[in-house]
Amino acid sequence: MDSNHQSNYKLSKTEKKFLRKQVKARHTLLRHEGIETVSYATQILVVANGGLGNGVSRNQLFPVLEKFGQVDALLMPPNKPYSFVRYKTIEESKKAYVTLNGKEIVDDLGQKIILYFNFVEKAQWKELGLQALPPGLMVVEEIISSEDEKMLLESVNWTEDKDNQNFQKSLKHRRVKHFGYEFHYENNNVDKDKPLPGGLPDICDNILEKWLKEGFIRYKPDQLTVNQYEPGHGIPAHIDTHSAFEDEIVSLSLGSEIVMDFKHPDGVTVPVLLPRRSLLVMTGESRYLWTHGITPRKFDTVQASKNRKSGIITSDVGDLTLNKRGVRTSFTFRKVRQTPCHCSYPLVCDSQMKEPPPSFPESDKEASQLEQEYVHRVYEEIAGHFSSTRHTPWPHIVEFLKALPSGSLVADIGCGNGKYLGINKELYMIGCDRSQNLVDICRERQFQAFVCDALAVPIRSGACDACISIAVIHHFATAERRMAALQELVRLLRPGGKALIYVWAMEQEYKKKKSKYLRNRIGQVKNEEILDDASVQELLVEQMPDVGNQDSASSAPSISDSQNSRKVTNSKLPIHTNRTSFHSQDLLVPWHLKGNPSKDKPVEPFDPIGSHGPSPVFHRYYHVFCEGELEAACQTLSNVSILQSYYDQGNWCVILQKV
Amino acid sequence: MKLLTHNLLSSHVRGVGPRGLPLRLQATEVRINNVEFNPDFVARMIPKVEWEVLLEAADHLRLIEVPKGPIQGYEQDETFLRKMHHVLLEVEVLEGTLQCPESGRMFPISRGIPNMLLSSEETET
Repeated sequence: MDSNHQSNYKLSKTEKKFLRKQVKARHTLLRHEGIETVSYATQILVVANGGLGNGVSRNQLFPVLEKFGQVDALLMPPNKPYSFVRYKTIEESKKAYVTLNGKEIVDDLGQKIILYFNFVEKAQWKELGLQALPPGLMVVEEIISSEDEKMLLESVNWTEDKDNQNFQKSLKHRRVKHFGYEFHYENNNVDKDKPLPGGLPDICDNILEKWLKEGFIRYKPDQLTVNQYEPGHGIPAHIDTHSAFEDEIVSLSLGSEIVMDFKHPDGVTVPVLLPRRSLLVMTGESRYLWTHGITPRKFDTVQASKNRKSGIITSDVGDLTLNKRGVRTSFTFRKVRQTPCHCSYPLVCDSQMKEPPPSFPESDKEASQLEQEYVHRVYEEIAGHFSSTRHTPWPHIVEFLKALPSGSLVADIGCGNGKYLGINKELYMIGCDRSQNLVDICRERQFQAFVCDALAVPIRSGACDACISIAVIHHFATAERRMAALQELVRLLRPGGKALIYVWAMEQEYKKKKSKYLRNRIGQVKNEEILDDASVQELLVEQMPDVGNQDSASSAPSISDSQNSRKVTNSKLPIHTNRTSFHSQDLLVPWHLKGNPSKDKPVEPFDPIGSHGPSPVFHRYYHVFCEGELEAACQTLSNVSILQSYYDQGNWCVILQKV
Repeated sequence: MKLLTHNLLSSHVRGVGPRGLPLRLQATEVRINNVEFNPDFVARMIPKVEWEVLLEAADHLRLIEVPKGPIQGYEQDETFLRKMHHVLLEVEVLEGTLQCPESGRMFPISRGIPNMLLSSEETET
């Protein structure tokens, strides 16, 4: 009696649990997939947990379903954890529903899965659009015989690697071997001056000659990389370095088929099946612009129909299934490039994008060139975005302008977007800036402005009652040029006239308070970062200037900055990490250009940055000033006296008067 | 570019005469704006004006009724001030050129903005 009672109790508990899960499945389907289940019987059932996306293949599911009646269709959307089955009659689908609900099946990896069935009115999922192969891509099937395949596979001697590291790595990572030229993964390039002895293996000669003759390839390759992929191995999406190899890159697949993903910078992904013994030929756009990669996984979603062709994996979800991977070995043949690449895709071309890293200028001419490249050109490009982040006038500067006598003639040298030109209507203010695009913005605001260089200001000497120079002089690359800029300012002043100068300060923390620039950083600056550099530590005691509005709301959080500030070696200018303290007085500061917000796509965690087209980063040159440096420079001018010298939100500031 | 602004400009071409040479103004497009008259403001501008430069510029623009110089008691003379207000603040050159009188170098004025950038050769000392 007791046992019966117990078993009854257990059953209803199980039943209850099952019902809960079924309801949960129903909710999940609706909430996340928009699939509406119904409580009355229909011909179509949605099979939750029975999808390609969770490791259930057509070959497993179909036999289970057909036991209950004639299956009109089994639709398995790729990457989804559910499928739809349509029975010929409602009776049959009812039978399946009753019997199969909660049924346990075993997937290909041997894991137990419980299926939950619900009725639906129609089988709905996101339709995939029709796709074409990337331009320049071709897959040639059965290009070699099974015998040749066997021979090639056996010819590779993996145990030859004396390097233990390689062997250890092969467990987690695909194995590689190079012939002709060593491919270096640190810079993704070959050393053209150091060809490997032996060239390509002899057995390849015949095959390559044949391909040349038959027109499958146009050039004889001189570099070969053999890759061995165990199931679960992959290769991250990449473009083969333009400067390393010529246009045509061919890859022979041996041992097992695989799906390779091609991605266009716009985000379009095309999965392409590479059958055994097929040759993948990449030329043109597919070689230069699209990335290719293999997802590290043990199954690929492929077409279920027997006569499976290479090419794009169909969007016909009625015909998809999972394919377990085997060991695939690829022979990738390439021709090493001896001249720079001149393709039509400069944005992804290392030959065309190459610019030597800037170094500390050693002459006035070098300084001028550095400023041209890393100040003037940049401001022209970022003018619009820059202007949108420069909207709040700084209080001390407003104070200075408002204190000037009515009717003063005031020049803003380096006026940017004209932020200060309209502050005090009692003044006649003219602005000038090096950037035409920024001056245009001043013009739109009805201000008087012109384009000129701060070292040669076309204003007559002594014409100004006052001048301001806000965040300008720190863009000059030598001390002499900075002095010259100061001298120009003073020249413009009439005797008794005043100038206000602001420059970015090295010290970003002052009187133990972090500057707005540092404070706006997401996450805290760790002390360890700062303490490394002894000289910086000294300055830290002074405190760091707050660059405040200089970069407010403009740079992306430093998480996305891939460059860290490097130590200054070989007088190369280090690149600064935004919203951290400065480690060098002369440096390049990144600006992340934000244009149309709708164009910004969220970055997927495991995609290399390149495949989504990141927002462009511009580097601006700065010489950040130490405490006292600006004052000292002003003091060397014979005809000035310093009225005030102070620190304001990350800047060193001076008010001087011409005597 | 207003005439008051032009009045402040001078040639910065290296090796050319003393600094402060006024730039010769030619205009192909001029606009007259309506600017609020502030007599005190205008009065304060008068001492700062280089009259010859102003007269030459006004002449090139074929402006009429331009006072030849400050008159006695100008601070209170509304007629005078209004004329000056007009000349200095309401006349705007949208398209034209500025020329260095000694070197002949021309600087364009486009959409009201003079571009005074010198080439690297011109700035080399």
